[in-house]
Amino acid sequence: MFTAIGRNTFSFLGYAGEVAQLFRDTVISMFVAPIRWRLAFQQIVEIGARSQLVVIVTGAFTGAVFAAQLFFQLRGFGMESTVGSVTAVAMFRELAPALTGLMVAGRVGAAIAAEIGTMKVTEQIDALRSLGVHPTDYLVVPRTIAMMISMPLLVGEACMLSLISAYLVSVPLLGVSEPHYLRNLYQWVTLFDVYKALIKGFLFGIIIVFVASHEGLKTTNGAAGVGKAPTEAVVISSLAILAANFILTFLLNIFLPAGSS
Amino acid sequence: MIETRDLSKSFGPVQVLRSVSFSLHDGETLVVMGRSGCGKSVVLKHLIGLMKPDSGDVLVDGESIVGLPERKLTDVRRKIGMLFQSAALFDSMSVGENLAFPLREQGVHDEKEINTRIAEALEMVDLPGEEEKMPADLSGGMRKRVGLARTIIGRPRVILYDEPTTGLDPVTSDSINHLIRRLQRRLRVTSIVVTHDMKTAFHCADRVTFLHEGRAHFTGPIAEFRDSTDPVLADFIQGRSGDTD
Repeated sequence: MFTAIGRNTFSFLGYAGEVAQLFRDTVISMFVAPIRWRLAFQQIVEIGARSQLVVIVTGAFTGAVFAAQLFFQLRGFGMESTVGSVTAVAMFRELAPALTGLMVAGRVGAAIAAEIGTMKVTEQIDALRSLGVHPTDYLVVPRTIAMMISMPLLVGEACMLSLISAYLVSVPLLGVSEPHYLRNLYQWVTLFDVYKALIKGFLFGIIIVFVASHEGLKTTNGAAGVGKAPTEAVVISSLAILAANFILTFLLNIFLPAGSS
Repeated sequence: MIETRDLSKSFGPVQVLRSVSFSLHDGETLVVMGRSGCGKSVVLKHLIGLMKPDSGDVLVDGESIVGLPERKLTDVRRKIGMLFQSAALFDSMSVGENLAFPLREQGVHDEKEINTRIAEALEMVDLPGEEEKMPADLSGGMRKRVGLARTIIGRPRVILYDEPTTGLDPVTSDSINHLIRRLQRRLRVTSIVVTHDMKTAFHCADRVTFLHEGRAHFTGPIAEFRDSTDPVLADFIQGRSGDTD
């Protein structure tokens, strides 16, 4: 058993090291090579614009369901006017970044790993190198920039939609008093909660792009490898997002304490 | 021009290259031959820095490229063009965009010049007017031709061909062989052709290096290779496996 734990620990550290190396190469590339803005904008469209449906559905329905459940639970205590503030705090601090991260990992992370993996096994990455183009400059940097811009915006959008859906479910549908609902919302939701959502979204985007790019770049074994890369990218980035979310919750609470603004 | 010195490379427990040495002179065509899996493509990838040897050296114009970091290899790679076995066209780009790519990377931004050079390159590989097609719409032979057009458009001094006729029918293979020879004459480039196709070797080679058991078993003029009485070479040339029914 100890052997298995040791082996898995070394395997995890090795993997983390490889991803960290790609991160380092990407940061260096951003400073020493010209940034391909046209490719970055294409990726913003791919990541941001084409993720609209998943983000809208995730944000709106999670906010709506969360508000409804809170209403059913809190109605017995006469605290239903707090539904909006509790939903907003939960969505901003935890649910919107984590759920958006998981959805984007599934949609965009898989696509990045599959596209780069296909290029790897069909020698297109070797062709890039033979033409004097560093694969990190051409493939990873534009996707990283696009993810750094898109993910906070997507998380912000999910938060906004959850606020709207929670309001619609609570006030017009379930009959919560609007002034009390809004007063609680303004009282308990602070600017720090918005910052936390955006910071988490940014960092989850970084996790997705580096895990997915790494999985693509290390693809071998032809079609079987290309089939495996997106699955690995989604599983690993999802687990990393959930684990990072836990750590970030504590870290961000040090710098942006809950209840302050 | 290009020289390998005692090149050795292993993949896990399998040693593919054992101290392979040969040199390539300006303007000549060297054909690297050997049985499948003997390391021919591995040699080629070392010459352009796509692989690093375990030991040994690769010299381009007298300078070692083995220790160079990826970004420092750009200048070397601009001198050397490579046609990949699968052609390795960028499948998200049209034929024209594939050909424009190396030019833009070299800093050519004049669209008129880019279009002229694309048309010239496609003319050279007998595919005029195919700029708008996507790689998925091309046959195997056409893909190789477009790959070759992308290789020559940057005007390299050396062209590396990795199995240029593999997977093609005999007639298309013959036309690719003629195309290689024609480009050598027209562009006066130095070439290395990796193949196990005897027709390609006899059609294109000035000299042959034959790899066997990871070593350069023979290096010499094509006529000497063809007339060799060495049993390893004779069996390969005649296509004899030694197996019986």
